[in-house]
Amino acid sequence: MTMTNPGGSSFARPRASEGGGRALSRRHDRSAVMFLMPFGLLFTTMMLLPMGYALYQSFFKVQRSGLGLQPAAKVFAGLGNYVTAVRDSAFMSSLLRVFMLGVVQVPVMLGLALALALLLDSRSAAFKRTFRLTYFMPYALPGVIAAIMWSFLYEPSVSPFTAGLRHLGLNVNFLSGNLVLGSIGNMITWGWTGFNMLIIYSALQAIPGELTEAAVMDGCGAWRVAWHMKIPAVRPALILTTVFSIIGTAQLFNEPQVLQQVAPTISPSYTPIMAAQQAADINDYNYAATESVILALLTFVLSFGFLKFAQRKGDSE
Amino acid sequence: MASRWVKTALVTLTAAAVATVTACSSSGAPNSAGKTVTLDFWGSAIGYDKSVARWNQTHSDIKINYAQIAAGSAGGYAKMQNAVKAGNAPCLGQVGYDTLPDFVVTGAAQDISQYANADKSQFTPWTWQMTGFGGKVFGIPVDAGPEALFYRADLFEQYGITPPKTWSEFAADAEKVHAANPAAYLTTTPQDAYDLGALTWQAGGKWFGTGDNQWQVTIDSPTTRQVADYWQGLLGKHLATSESTLDTAWFKDVQNGKVLSLVSAVWAAPLIAQGLPGLSGKWAVAPMPQWTPGQAATGSRGGSATVVLTGCKYPQQATEFADWLSTNSDSVTNLIKNTGIYPAATSGQDLPAVNQPSAYFGGQNIYQVFKTAAANISPSWGWGPTMVQVQSEMKHGLKLAGTGQGTIPQAVTAVQADTVTAMKSQGLSVSGG
Repeated sequence: MTMTNPGGSSFARPRASEGGGRALSRRHDRSAVMFLMPFGLLFTTMMLLPMGYALYQSFFKVQRSGLGLQPAAKVFAGLGNYVTAVRDSAFMSSLLRVFMLGVVQVPVMLGLALALALLLDSRSAAFKRTFRLTYFMPYALPGVIAAIMWSFLYEPSVSPFTAGLRHLGLNVNFLSGNLVLGSIGNMITWGWTGFNMLIIYSALQAIPGELTEAAVMDGCGAWRVAWHMKIPAVRPALILTTVFSIIGTAQLFNEPQVLQQVAPTISPSYTPIMAAQQAADINDYNYAATESVILALLTFVLSFGFLKFAQRKGDSE
Repeated sequence: MASRWVKTALVTLTAAAVATVTACSSSGAPNSAGKTVTLDFWGSAIGYDKSVARWNQTHSDIKINYAQIAAGSAGGYAKMQNAVKAGNAPCLGQVGYDTLPDFVVTGAAQDISQYANADKSQFTPWTWQMTGFGGKVFGIPVDAGPEALFYRADLFEQYGITPPKTWSEFAADAEKVHAANPAAYLTTTPQDAYDLGALTWQAGGKWFGTGDNQWQVTIDSPTTRQVADYWQGLLGKHLATSESTLDTAWFKDVQNGKVLSLVSAVWAAPLIAQGLPGLSGKWAVAPMPQWTPGQAATGSRGGSATVVLTGCKYPQQATEFADWLSTNSDSVTNLIKNTGIYPAATSGQDLPAVNQPSAYFGGQNIYQVFKTAAANISPSWGWGPTMVQVQSEMKHGLKLAGTGQGTIPQAVTAVQADTVTAMKSQGLSVSGG
């Protein structure tokens, strides 16, 4: 095989000697690095640097005295902010709330996405393209617009659902204390099922046709093909979507923030990011940084932990 | 194994990181030295630019560069604070009275007492109080938001009531209206911290004080309780409705005769006129109902000052312009016409633009009511340094009360505790916890 180096000499064939091997790997390294540089630059300046800055800020505190007329002093607080955050009941309950939401909403959404993807992939499915587009459309709607739409659909005085249920004799307020978290979960599921369905569907398309044929020839009906062959085959896609969903739920902000306008049951610090935003609003950036770092750590532990768990389980099978 | 290229890449990335960090900490460019001084001014109110243009026409030694930014609560304040932190802030900024203490505590406002104190007598006393505390002045007041009762004169006649002079009369009228028509309400309950604040202000209370080099937080005070209990009473007996005002839903309800009146500031007049053009001639304005018969006390809502921001190298010139903006008759007439303000300067309150009959309000000179109101506002009110937090929590608590999931007094107690915590977390000395 001949390889041409645009900037240098060309090789007639790869040589097994030490010098040739090293030159080859150097060229590979250079190409790899050239491709990764743009991403690396942006990633470092836009992600790593700000993350590092936030971590740095979380160890400091701004000390003012009296009325605050004197210039403030930046004091090293060590883990003081973290202790405050752990003792902050509003923040801790926002973390718990988001965790409880995730535990229910993520499996429900992914179960639905998997079911829809399998249905689309089945041989008897009709109007595949139409349905694919329909399921994907909620995701195409900008998050805030969707949240505003849902706030009209939930607000008791204008909601068609509330009106319909009232005809059946049921008095349901989707924004009441008991139901509002479920209503938010519904909004997220509506918006993201299509996206996750598409990822799983793509993975299903990648399953070699011979496997399906073999399963059918062995006498499997559609359900058994799905359960025993297709679902295990899309395991990596399921793991990917679960990790994304865990991270997305932890970062919940849009939906409760918009619903807050019509739902008095949503407090200003309903989710961890709303709580951090609250701290930033009163210029307590160090505390906001602390809350963000805690959220990031917990999200990392959960998502990475799930990934490791899923991989280990996969290895043991 | 790390090859030379990988090492080069890592070095480049680190260099980029360092470059970004150092670029971010460079200081802003100084204003042009020499004969003409150029100052930057950031504001959000429409119409300010015309006053600035007038200044630039008539002044050659000081030039003002006006830039329109987003409204304070929509990001304008954050933009100003970030610019101060970055060292490239404008000299002047439009800051609401309620947010001025926030700017002072974060070190974003400059003490201009020595240049501004000479102008004090040109302004209504309580508006001057809004521009500083601790004996220092940080800005020049521009406008005022005295409150009064906007009411549907035609519907009042229909229900057989006249503008109530006291709050007990008001409650009686509310009962009369609701008894005659269960779908109608005399007015709406306080919806946020500024509604409740103005009502408490009128009743002679105060939420924030600055004495003994310490902040006193008295949101949960007997006066606030008096006001909170009164409105909770109306809410509990379904004599007042809880909904946000001056928006689409409210306009619809007023059109349908569901809400008869509104306690709000002078700047609500053009908003009502714009939102309900079909009701022209049917509205009127009366002074706010009183707690003590015969008094004329009222509260204020809104209003902003022109603040000199930290880092301004020409505070004297900046103060000179700010004073001109608020007192020069050309400038104030423009602000009245195009920005829709009610001036804080006493000379401004005598201008013809705010002393003429209003066709929308049935030919009444509504500004007469507001002028009297502006003169009867207590100068002992002050705002705190965490009003964003106070507002978001009070809104939440009052909304809960509106749907029956809490009460207004409960909201007041909760906000008191949370505000003390928020202020203490900034390291300020606070009493009232």
